[in-house]
Amino acid sequence: MDVVEREILIAAPPGLVWPALAHADGLSAWFGADARVDLQPGGRGVFRWPDGAERPVVVEDVEPARRLAFRWLPFQRTAGGDVVALPSTRVLITLDEVPGGTRVRVVEQPAFSLGAGAPRAGGRASAMIAS
Amino acid sequence: MKPDRADAIFSALADPTRRQVIRALSQHGPSSATALAADLAVTRQAVAKHLSALAEAGLVTATRRGREKLFQISPRPLTDAVSWMAELGARWDERLAALRDHVAASTRRG
Repeated sequence: MDVVEREILIAAPPGLVWPALAHADGLSAWFGADARVDLQPGGRGVFRWPDGAERPVVVEDVEPARRLAFRWLPFQRTAGGDVVALPSTRVLITLDEVPGGTRVRVVEQPAFSLGAGAPRAGGRASAMIAS
Repeated sequence: MKPDRADAIFSALADPTRRQVIRALSQHGPSSATALAADLAVTRQAVAKHLSALAEAGLVTATRRGREKLFQISPRPLTDAVSWMAELGARWDERLAALRDHVAASTRRG
């Protein structure tokens, strides 16, 4: 339960996939939320969903055509305007050139997993509890 | 599950000793704070503090047997936390499919 990993193959080279990650309007086109994010390391911003919910992020790592990493901050403003706590998670999106295009891989995990006593990346719930 | 609840669960499990407490409870079944302290080689006071944090997150419950208070795992919140992560995964499935369609559309245009 401590890590979500997903991937997809896109029939285009990383250079053509990257613009969809490198700019706020590129992100907004597919993320399901309007991105207002300064996409550089340390950059801050907010994703706003169509229902009005908002969640702030901090960009942690940007390597053009290779990698985008950001951290969801541990709260969200709901559509109704309430601020609720949520686990802070880190999202790492990597692009790998493979035959046929680009493998896009997403890893999302609670931010504390990177701290002391944390499970190894890719660990499962049992590993987390056993660590 | 409510977001606040997920946060409480993940915060409670962020501590390595609390994860050890959960593991010990899953191995030995209902246990007293004294037994857990002996098992984990930490003070009873420290275990009591961790148990109270875990109880607050709904991860353990206490029952009284005679003069002893026994703690046991409450599996439901763990299942809830797993569902919450599953929900995150489902959201990424949707987003990645949308990303693929978006790139296909822009490549055609370009």
